[in-house]
Amino acid sequence: MTVRSAPAWVRGAGLCLLALVVLAPAFAWASGAVGYAEPLEHAAAATGAADDAGTTIPGLLPDYSVPGLGPSLGTLVSAVVGTALTLGVAVAAGRLLEE
Amino acid sequence: MHIPDGFLDPWVAGLFWLGSGAAIGLAVRRARGELGDERTPLLGVVAAGIFAAQMLNWPIPGGTSAHFVGGAFAGILLGPSLGVLAMTAVVTIQALVFGDGGIVALGANLFALAVVDVLAGYVLFRVVRRVYEPAAAFVAGWGAVVLSALAVGVGVGLSSAFAYELGVTVPIMVVGHALLGLIEGAITAAVYGYVADARPDLVLGRFRDEALTPEVGL
Repeated sequence: MTVRSAPAWVRGAGLCLLALVVLAPAFAWASGAVGYAEPLEHAAAATGAADDAGTTIPGLLPDYSVPGLGPSLGTLVSAVVGTALTLGVAVAAGRLLEE
Repeated sequence: MHIPDGFLDPWVAGLFWLGSGAAIGLAVRRARGELGDERTPLLGVVAAGIFAAQMLNWPIPGGTSAHFVGGAFAGILLGPSLGVLAMTAVVTIQALVFGDGGIVALGANLFALAVVDVLAGYVLFRVVRRVYEPAAAFVAGWGAVVLSALAVGVGVGLSSAFAYELGVTVPIMVVGHALLGLIEGAITAAVYGYVADARPDLVLGRFRDEALTPEVGL
């Protein structure tokens, strides 16, 4: 990418992204320890919808895990892949729209 | 609050696809004039940062956890058009690569997280900023996530899986996210404050239609 006018912030932003990615396994472990639930799941439980949740396409890395890898390493790999992919897709889309 | 497949009736999912498709299409058209060597890398970094931040589930005593959603932050920093595009990239990759949120339900998840969260956050920020600027980013982050939750609550509440119990789904979604949204507001305010201090020129939502001024600390 051409970042002639913004090398300083791009470097800092890259370090921030790296920090977030490295933290992901610790947060995954901590939230797993208390049990992950959010209001949509409570609403589903309250109305009998919980069993209706299905999966059309599980994805290459289902639920941010890597088949065959442990949970922490799987989360780390998912964070690396997802963050890099999002960066690439968003920049590519932006470049395409520049013309 | 990603909706899995099986939760929405087809007509509800279809309406969400129409709404998000129209909004994202408009965002694409408007984004053409905004992108360049400065904003395109920022679009990528904000989208990637929000993806990574969404993986950080903050454990909350009592058996729940919450993560930063980031749509309001994207709207404030990038403006509404690029904010919608950034969140569209995040939510689509989450669904296709990680199975987080359904495929049929992707239109609804885009509507809630990439359209409502971004646009509501942007509008709330600009309105509140005129009244009391230090609270603007917090109110935007909190209010936008509550409105996103309202959209999800209405969508599932109109669907057969949830027994059409709008009176149950909407209060659970809105009250639950009104509490979890306090974290969203706090993180939005903290990150916005940092960026606005370090690089005020990058904060498009703050300066659109205005002259840039160098002294813009919070």
